[in-house]
Amino acid sequence: MSIGRDEVLRVAKLAELAVAEPEVDRLVEQMNRIVDYVAQLDRVPLGADAPPFLAGPGTVTLREDVVRPVPLARGPAEMAPEFAEGLFLVPRRGGAAMAAEAGSEVPEDDVPMDDPSEEAP
Amino acid sequence: MEPMLHKGWETVIGLEVHVQLQTRSKMFCGCSTSFGDPPNTNVCPVCLGLPGALPVPNAEAIRLAARGALALGLTVHPTSVFARKNYFYPDLPKGYQISQFDQPLATDGRVVFESPERGRVEVTIQRLHVEEDAGKSLHDRIPGKTAVDLNRAGVPLAEIVSGPDLRSPAEARAYLTTLRQILLYAGVSDCSMEQGSLRVDANLSVRRPGAPLGTKTEVKNMNSFANVERALEAERERQIALLEAGERVQQVTLLFHAPSGAVRPQRSKEESHDYRYFPDPDLPPLVLDAAWIAAREAELPELPEAKRERLMSAYGLPAYDARVLADEPPVAAYFEAIVAAGAEPKAAANWVMGDAMTAYNETGRFAVTPARLAELIVLVRDGVVSHQAAKRVYGELAAAGQGGAEPPLAVAERLGLVQVKDEGALAGWVDEVLAAHPAEVARFRGGETKLMGFFVGQVMKRSQGKADPKGVQPVLVAKLNGGS
Amino acid sequence: MSGETVAPFTELARETGRRLRGADEAGLNAALHWSQPVLDAEAARAEALAAASAAPLPLAGLAVALKDNIVSVEEPTTCGSRILEGYVSPYDATVVARLRAAGALAAVKANMDEFAMGSSTEHSAYGRVRNPLDPDRVPGGSSGGSAALVAAGVVPAALGSETGGSVRQPASFCGIVGVKPSYGRVSRWGLVAFGSSLDCISPFGRTVEDAARVLAAISGHDPLDSTTVDLPPLQAPAPLADLRGVRIGLPREYLPADLDAGVRAAFERAVGCLRALGAEIVDVSLPHSPLAVPTYYIIAPAEAAANLARFDGVRYGPRRIGPEGDVRSLYRATRGEGFGPEVRRRILVGTYVLSAGYYDAYYKKAQRVRAMIAEDFRRAFERVDLLFTPTTPTTAFRAGEKTEDPVSMYLADIFVSPASLAGLPAMSQPIGRSEGLPVGGQLIAPMYQEARMLAAAGALERVVPATEEAR
Repeated sequence: MSIGRDEVLRVAKLAELAVAEPEVDRLVEQMNRIVDYVAQLDRVPLGADAPPFLAGPGTVTLREDVVRPVPLARGPAEMAPEFAEGLFLVPRRGGAAMAAEAGSEVPEDDVPMDDPSEEAP
Repeated sequence: MEPMLHKGWETVIGLEVHVQLQTRSKMFCGCSTSFGDPPNTNVCPVCLGLPGALPVPNAEAIRLAARGALALGLTVHPTSVFARKNYFYPDLPKGYQISQFDQPLATDGRVVFESPERGRVEVTIQRLHVEEDAGKSLHDRIPGKTAVDLNRAGVPLAEIVSGPDLRSPAEARAYLTTLRQILLYAGVSDCSMEQGSLRVDANLSVRRPGAPLGTKTEVKNMNSFANVERALEAERERQIALLEAGERVQQVTLLFHAPSGAVRPQRSKEESHDYRYFPDPDLPPLVLDAAWIAAREAELPELPEAKRERLMSAYGLPAYDARVLADEPPVAAYFEAIVAAGAEPKAAANWVMGDAMTAYNETGRFAVTPARLAELIVLVRDGVVSHQAAKRVYGELAAAGQGGAEPPLAVAERLGLVQVKDEGALAGWVDEVLAAHPAEVARFRGGETKLMGFFVGQVMKRSQGKADPKGVQPVLVAKLNGGS
Repeated sequence: MSGETVAPFTELARETGRRLRGADEAGLNAALHWSQPVLDAEAARAEALAAASAAPLPLAGLAVALKDNIVSVEEPTTCGSRILEGYVSPYDATVVARLRAAGALAAVKANMDEFAMGSSTEHSAYGRVRNPLDPDRVPGGSSGGSAALVAAGVVPAALGSETGGSVRQPASFCGIVGVKPSYGRVSRWGLVAFGSSLDCISPFGRTVEDAARVLAAISGHDPLDSTTVDLPPLQAPAPLADLRGVRIGLPREYLPADLDAGVRAAFERAVGCLRALGAEIVDVSLPHSPLAVPTYYIIAPAEAAANLARFDGVRYGPRRIGPEGDVRSLYRATRGEGFGPEVRRRILVGTYVLSAGYYDAYYKKAQRVRAMIAEDFRRAFERVDLLFTPTTPTTAFRAGEKTEDPVSMYLADIFVSPASLAGLPAMSQPIGRSEGLPVGGQLIAPMYQEARMLAAAGALERVVPATEEAR
């Protein structure tokens, strides 16, 4: 199995990682090396379908429904790169299109039908 | 059965409904779920997605989801698995949503509802799974910025996916009404669209009768059931127009625009989603034993369908009354309490659906205790007060509220509304009326007997409604026929 | 360590500070964040706790360094990455709270391979860590900073984290003891996740006893971690006087023909020690263990790709915005520039193996093979009480030797990753030297049998010539 440039760029997009152009060829080579290496599992014969392996407890332990948050020594305002009026901020452009893609709530006035910024870069 | 057609096309609709499970704390952390707090105040390491934080599931959320699943006739599975759904969005703190994927909590249920077009219709419920909500993105709060509030992030949700079994926008709305009612009955969610605790995504396609399923689109952003219907009508028209013009329907997501009633295609999808689901390694499987599931089933309250049938069979109520009373559990409970206190069922139903409901709709509670209302209904039955007078008594009782100490009979007496049966008193009013209307007396005696109603009315008026109408007529007959 | 606790804790804090400065001057680059005031405050807190406590505290006054992926409120937590530069956690890890409750000073953060991805601690954004025994060589990784601080005598014990051998392998390279507990024995609350189904906080010590005491203090069920097991607390066992009646298996797959001669010689000498102690040595086979590294390099990157999605520049950490100026360019620039090359590679591989059309061929298959690797162990433990192997195929390699080919670096973990995949307790202890460099021997025990493993390790420790050349 061989991974091409397009595949590396597709995966980088899914992972939201900027990949500099000069880096791409090297990444293609290294990913192929890694994926070829792990592909040796293809040769392993498998028995009947089995439940996935679990190292820890086999059952999740549930928590009582009590309001008791783990306290924060510093609040969001002190951690965030950009914060105002109690809110985390990110650049707006491109946000609406992504919201729709992600299924988040979008105010209807926010999604003009012909706004070029809706197109993902 | 003949397919239901609109302009020669069959409409196929399936709905994905998200409801907030009514817990005190979030799905995977101890933060409060309370609505309307200042932004980013109900947050902790878990729901902020801080490095090193881990999820621990809320037992009550699981209990409520299982209740909801059982109420909708789904099979709750002994083992289900939490999975990560990976995508990037500013209001998704971890870069993945903890949901369930190939092993959901429950599958394969059905809901029967009354279709406006087809009568009783059964919808399959493909699955119900548990997941956490994302935060809220505010696109218009700060110019040029998307602002993110994570108070909602991690709030527990159940996603309920119907089969593509609905055949019209009106039917979709009727299904939603029934679904909401069942979930309210089961105490799973408050199902408030205004507060975002119930959200609907709709899938719609159209086809010629007998043809394979057409390409479906997804419609979002509806804030009421009425708008779900409007949005689906708009989308149906859009798809039919496209197909009749020889074009194709693209698989897109559309947003409903309430002011115009139009659906707006977001953009053509450049690539399909690739959520890279895999089992969440932070959470071992959710294992529920058969006894636990049976206990959840046993604790379910009577559901709307069963309640309607029982109201008809046990109380002899007409179907309409049963439907109105069973609309919400507190209404039916109020009705049954009044009957238990001695009132006649049909009269009790009339009172509950009439004056009592007005107050309930305005305030969310009933103004008069069931016992007091039952007493009042008995007073009417026994002829102690007239129906008209009873309404005034009810007004007094309601004004005093549920804590009012004065019984209905005392109120009626205080207001002088107790009906007068004493023949002497009745004769006095009759004499006054006959004396005041000599012409009518003459006409009656001349054979115009239909004037009897006029005389009874006049007596009631003169007595300010206190005269017992059943007692008035014999006195009138005697006086009119007796001469003098 | 006995004797040190006699001095007042503040003096211990000062002494720790002097040693940290000495290590810095020697260019070890093992400690990332520490300050004398914070150390002093830790000492004062421990002192007060000891005074108020009726029973002696198990780790009274012990300075325990923390790998920089374990969060604490007082010092930054960067995971050796630019993407968390300057990040200070607003909450403490469970292990930090437990160390403090035991009287330890938990105030030094140790350098590491970025996000624990690496086997040499050359992949830190804050520079490579030197092996205290030979500065041209790597200390192993990813917990190389923690290992180097213990090996250099700066602190008596330290916490590292294991995903696929990241404590045992550096323990072997640095000539100290590293103990990976059973998966679920120690809370991961506050450990920045890499491969969540594999991650185990694991202690280093200069002796088996030191490491065991630290492990006992930090282990136990935690309601904040759904993957911890609810078992009675682990007690540090007394070393066994001999190993009569103990059956120890030597899995032949861990003794390949091309095993480094010096490693083989030290290992065979240690096996002789075990025999001399009365242990019965049994030849066993773990046929799927050779598949552990490829299996690991599917599962760990897949989990990591999701675990590292939260580093998006929205809520914390430094932010960069690309030329487009939109949210996506914020993500891509913050992550593209914030993560180093090895982390980027693994995120890409992890994303690839989970993406549509590849899930079954890679992730699902790897989970099946993982189960087969674990099943081999289960069968072996029907016949033997413990397994004994070399910890690593070679001694510490030279810096830069394996940075060009990621797969050659991965193979440094060939003997340690199987127990990680199976969730089993395993440890490395020094068993000799080869050309002056330490050789480690690995004991692997059945699930939750840490006490058995540590007791046997204590017996071996007393007799094995750990600092002597084996030929």
